[in-house]
Amino acid sequence: MFSIYKKELQSFFFTPFAYILTALFMFLFTLQFNSAIGDMNTDTFKFTFPEIFYNMTFYFIFLIPIMTMRSYADERKFGTEVLLMTSPVSVLKIVLGKYLANVTVFLFMLACSLIFPIITAANGQVVMSQLVCAYIGFFFWGCMFIALGMLISSFTENSIIAAIIGELVMFIFIFIDRFSQTAFISQHPTLQNVLNSFAARPRFGYFSQGFIRISDLVFFISAIIVCLAWNYISIEKRRWNRG
Amino acid sequence: MITIENLTKFYGSNRAVNNISFTINDNEILGFLGPNGAGKSTTMNMIAGYLPMSSGSVTICGTDITKDPVKAKQNIGYLPEIPPVYPDMRVKEYLSFCAGLKRIPSDKRKKEIDRVSDLLKITDVRDKLIKNLSKGYKQRVGFAQALLGNPKFLILDEPTVGLDPNQVMEVRSIIKDLKRDHSVIFSSHILSEVQAVCDRVVIINKGDIKAMDTIENLEKSYTGNIVQHIKIKGAKGPAASIIEMTEGVKEITAIDAEGNDFYAFTIAVDGDPDAVRNSIMSELLKNNIQIVEIFTEKPDLEAVFSQLINAKKKDSDLADLLDELGPAPDEDEDNDNDKEADE
Repeated sequence: MFSIYKKELQSFFFTPFAYILTALFMFLFTLQFNSAIGDMNTDTFKFTFPEIFYNMTFYFIFLIPIMTMRSYADERKFGTEVLLMTSPVSVLKIVLGKYLANVTVFLFMLACSLIFPIITAANGQVVMSQLVCAYIGFFFWGCMFIALGMLISSFTENSIIAAIIGELVMFIFIFIDRFSQTAFISQHPTLQNVLNSFAARPRFGYFSQGFIRISDLVFFISAIIVCLAWNYISIEKRRWNRG
Repeated sequence: MITIENLTKFYGSNRAVNNISFTINDNEILGFLGPNGAGKSTTMNMIAGYLPMSSGSVTICGTDITKDPVKAKQNIGYLPEIPPVYPDMRVKEYLSFCAGLKRIPSDKRKKEIDRVSDLLKITDVRDKLIKNLSKGYKQRVGFAQALLGNPKFLILDEPTVGLDPNQVMEVRSIIKDLKRDHSVIFSSHILSEVQAVCDRVVIINKGDIKAMDTIENLEKSYTGNIVQHIKIKGAKGPAASIIEMTEGVKEITAIDAEGNDFYAFTIAVDGDPDAVRNSIMSELLKNNIQIVEIFTEKPDLEAVFSQLINAKKKDSDLADLLDELGPAPDEDEDNDNDKEADE
């Protein structure tokens, strides 16, 4: 597992890939940071990091599918899937190795974003409890979407298609709670409940207020496990269906 | 030892590999020969544990590949048709990744990578990105990957395709050397290659095994008459009669006059070619006939191959057809149905 993890990290960090992705993330973060500072004097918005993270979750749609699109799609394209599958490594370890590598890149991005709270703390005040909780919430949400993006990558051998479908699916998941509040869906409370139970946004809301609730953690972790298990099944199934 | 039993693979309703069984012994090079699309790659993918089989089993050193894949795969080095290399990696990074995949302890990794790099002469490209390598080098890097960890069995799917003649010779000699401590299954559609390298051949076409034997046995059993060529100087008539009288000669198929009083006899031999040749030679010399040239035409695998792939198939089709036409007219319908069911 470690060798797959290492190889994946190499493919991110020995190429410009991880750096460009992090640069994009930092650029988007700076935009949010700037506009939050610009809004500081108005009474309606308060400058808080949870608010910025809350807005940043929208950009998951762009960042994470790009990060995960190559996971399996490229292995198929280059014929290296054969190498992995004929090596004495179980499929579960392949999935976990790849997943951990993607999570590491995401952590790298988060680590770079620490510069903003540091600058703020130097010139003002940062509410630490909120900041830490917002980071934890943001991290888990990202991890969930990474597992989802990898799952979508395991369905295809074209990484561009994986990215586009990933963007679409993540868009739906981000706005699923708003969708469930539309007038039409409100008429069907059962449907509304079902849709709401998939919504990550309200759960992130608790984190951004400084709460770490077990139920929210369970939501994210179980979503990650479901996606990774599906990853495993999808790879195995593809082998059986091949041809 | 690898035992393959009743291996079958369906792609949808299309049967790619049909109920094949064979074994690969230790320290043996087994050639897997067949035209394109015969099911060679599918079979090799199944042996290597990449593709699951529709039915049948593959047992590697006593371990069923579907039951304990991790253990079974430790004994296998596999080079697929397209070398499984990552274009964005450097050669040494790639090899060290593969060494990790094959669970070579980290303190032995460097030594092992050096060993395979030397063997395949890729030491000078170790720092290059794989995408910048030529096809031949990519193939060698893929080959090096298969050799990492010294697996007992090597499965090589068309390892010489796309190489230049020099490289082909090198790869062949490497494969021959590997025989000392490995068994090699080696697929190809090039006959001369199989002939040059393999101990035993499995000929496969359309998913069926057509023949399985050593090369000599195949040549003996599937080629017809052995042909002897003798060129003499002068004395065409006496020579012809001597040859015809010799025991074991079936007939003189041709006498070609060549230049100044030279005659080339083409003789079909029925029996032990060595004995026939010796007796012809001694008779001719006794009669003071000068022999300029004498050689036995070696039956070649090419003939065996085309016979197995084409002619035999047609024969059996014809036989089937005759069988079906044989019975009384009222049974024809049943036979048609049978045929459809067979298809």
